[in-house]
Amino acid sequence: MKYYSYIKKLLLVISPILLYSCSEKDYEIPEGNTSLHNDCIKRSIGPNIIGNNIEFVYAMSLGPEQGKIELAQVEASIAGSENTYLENRSFHTNLSGEDVPIEIGKPSVNDGNTTYVEFTKDTCAASLRYYYYIPEEARGKEVSFKFSAKASTGEEVNYKLGPYKISKLDMKLDIELTDGNNCYFSVADMKSYSETEAIQNPGKIDLIYLYRPLSGVNFNHVLISPSNSDYRQDFNVPSELTNQSMLWKVYGVRDKHLARLEFGVYVDDVDFEKMGFDNAPDYAMDLKAEYGVWIETADKKYRAYIYINKVNETNKTMTVSIKRYTMN
Amino acid sequence: MKRLIFIAITLFSIIGCSKFPVDEDGLLITDRNECYVSNFELLGRDYQIARSKAPVIDTIAQTIDVEVLYGTDLKNLWPQFSLCPDAKLEPKITGFVDFSDLQPKEWTVISGDRKVRKTYTVTVTVQERTYE
Repeated sequence: MKYYSYIKKLLLVISPILLYSCSEKDYEIPEGNTSLHNDCIKRSIGPNIIGNNIEFVYAMSLGPEQGKIELAQVEASIAGSENTYLENRSFHTNLSGEDVPIEIGKPSVNDGNTTYVEFTKDTCAASLRYYYYIPEEARGKEVSFKFSAKASTGEEVNYKLGPYKISKLDMKLDIELTDGNNCYFSVADMKSYSETEAIQNPGKIDLIYLYRPLSGVNFNHVLISPSNSDYRQDFNVPSELTNQSMLWKVYGVRDKHLARLEFGVYVDDVDFEKMGFDNAPDYAMDLKAEYGVWIETADKKYRAYIYINKVNETNKTMTVSIKRYTMN
Repeated sequence: MKRLIFIAITLFSIIGCSKFPVDEDGLLITDRNECYVSNFELLGRDYQIARSKAPVIDTIAQTIDVEVLYGTDLKNLWPQFSLCPDAKLEPKITGFVDFSDLQPKEWTVISGDRKVRKTYTVTVTVQERTYE
């Protein structure tokens, strides 16, 4: 009985609040921003490597009755290489999830540090992609971007992004090594050489690739320093080649730039700066696809990560991709 | 009444904790006196298994014999001991161990009650290449 009375009192207090909060309010469609405004995102991730691009999306709009967009431009603190461009097509996503382009102006023009697109379509909104191809001049430096747009109303807006650190790394993909033929590898040149070529540049040869399917042991695909005499098997290393490179064999470091797989990690400058090679061996054996080796050259000028894309027992080949860091 | 319950819980907690004190490593000292190695693993610098076959663990002779793959980098091997419950190992293994001298290395297993100590000798050999 006591409880019943309590609940009744509680309902009396709460009911007006509930009734008041449920009463319908007039909904007003919020007014959009009709002045020229803009937004920008960086799409690409991972270290910014010379020769690769950094991708952005720059969006701008103003009220439909206000006027039209006339110009979009990007100013980089360090001029991009000649491939740098700002899309002259605005993309939107259709119901199937596909990106649909609509041309809004002439192809972009690079003028010093600035890349711009002049609009030829009467449009009040656009979303343009910008691909900044990283030039050699930016190595180890920082680069910033100022995106801006102009409308026929005389309004101007801008959006600043950065600074972004540009990596000191060099990269080369899909270098093929063949046992007994192009089996000499140079980190300095990021290239494989034949024996004749290797003898001409002995100081540059850091590794030799061997394939030996030895009975009872896991030898198979091997990368070995020219100086190593313990595991070269029947292979005759030319006497001119004497470099001793240090190697750490690793499994599972699937660098996204090198492996180009869906999942992975990014090997970055800091990995090389912090890596130690004390007590490292000068060989790595039984290498398979998705393995890799960290290497320090004999002259300690370079550190690199060599990712093994594929191996082929029939052709006795190994395809590798490399990221190389030049030590100070 | 509440006060009585609180005092009872506090006393129970103090008594409960005092049964198993902790040692200098913060590990519980229990009343177990078992002292043996139940399993042994050896990893290479790539954190992959470096042994070529199952290790031979003799808990009577207190020896562990393990053969590693041909070409294994002996300077960088990470021994991993599995011990009986509550036991601990001395010295602690905090990184890669250099076995390149192929000399036996010793680790001591200490029982849960810290009263039994058994020193195990680990001997690493390298798989030999067979010629056909």
